[in-house]
Amino acid sequence: MSQYYNIDDILAEEELVPAVFQVAANVRLFDSSDDSNKVEPGSKVELPFWLACELHLRQAVSINLPTCFNQKTREELAADAAHVNLKNRCPYFYELGQKLLSLVGDRTIGPLLLATFQKRYKEVLIKAQTVALAVAPKFLTLLTREEIKLYEVAQSSMAAFKKWRVGGPRFQKAYVIGKKRKPLD
Amino acid sequence: MAGQTDPHISLFSPQEVEFMAEDEMVEIVPNMNMEPLNFISGDFGRFLPQIPTQVPLWLAVALKRRGKCTFRPPEWLSVDNLTQVLEAERESQSTFQALPFSYVEIARLLFDHARDDIPDMYMVRSLVEDIRDVRLHKLETNLGSFQGTSAVKISNVSAMEVNLVRPFVRRALEAFYKHDKPEADVDRDTRSSRQPREANNEPRELQCPCLSEKKSQVSSVPIFVELPEK
Repeated sequence: MSQYYNIDDILAEEELVPAVFQVAANVRLFDSSDDSNKVEPGSKVELPFWLACELHLRQAVSINLPTCFNQKTREELAADAAHVNLKNRCPYFYELGQKLLSLVGDRTIGPLLLATFQKRYKEVLIKAQTVALAVAPKFLTLLTREEIKLYEVAQSSMAAFKKWRVGGPRFQKAYVIGKKRKPLD
Repeated sequence: MAGQTDPHISLFSPQEVEFMAEDEMVEIVPNMNMEPLNFISGDFGRFLPQIPTQVPLWLAVALKRRGKCTFRPPEWLSVDNLTQVLEAERESQSTFQALPFSYVEIARLLFDHARDDIPDMYMVRSLVEDIRDVRLHKLETNLGSFQGTSAVKISNVSAMEVNLVRPFVRRALEAFYKHDKPEADVDRDTRSSRQPREANNEPRELQCPCLSEKKSQVSSVPIFVELPEK
């Protein structure tokens, strides 16, 4: 799952998660209001997941759930998962959820991810086979990265099949064949 | 065996599927006299005028192009049989009728090269197309009923249909599997094994290549987080 060279895995770890500092720390380059570069214990900051995760392991911060897992989103997902704009909230909804699973002691995330995917998967399936390419972009704006990939593979195999069905030139001519030879001087 | 055209998503192109279907045997009636042909895949012939013989589809097509034979269309490719199949396909929403594994490709090749050998060519052709569309639609509805199972059994799906949904199904099942695992055990184990590193007594510097307040503006300046002594 977390492969070292997987670009999506890396990008998913860039997502910001809210964290609360448990200890005072010197953090340079934070956007702090003064120049002291100090972070007081108990201050809330949004850190990229990879940093929050490492700090969490050193017991420096505690991680809270990001906004895409808050109660409001959950209610919307429960109501009509297929039409929630997850891309807006977190393009790596599933990946981030999986990673947070082990850090945040919230056992409802796993079932939430599964239920959400089950519902949204059907929509992707139907749209991938039926919707024309021109209409697709509007629908694509709702999807997370994983769902977009799913949609694209379904679409590309369907397109290849349609092309084959219509036919056309059975043999592709090699590039060199049509060319005329240049006369030798 | 992985697809050649696009190994990344392990999809055969429809042309490749057609190529593999060309190994299916068909019956032809030659109109010439020829010695048997000895190939790696077997010996075919001998060819005598008006004596039917079995050859691979690709050879049949090649002979037909040279006007050396006529096709005997397979039994399933008749109006009666196809009408029956179509009705049965429409009746049951979950099962598929038994057709040759590569019926889409065989039908297509025969329609392209042997239109004069098939009785009721236009009828047969539209029947095959109807059957294909009905089956595809049914397959899609079946796929929609996945609920996170890791094994799927649908029998009598043909080569082209399997190939069409393969990349999608693979990805979808992978995702289902990922979310279906109880509590991501593997991940948890690796994390907890790293846990003992917490709280040594000297201050540590954690050097990070970048830290961004907003995702869009990633600064390339290193930052340092100094943790105090406990």
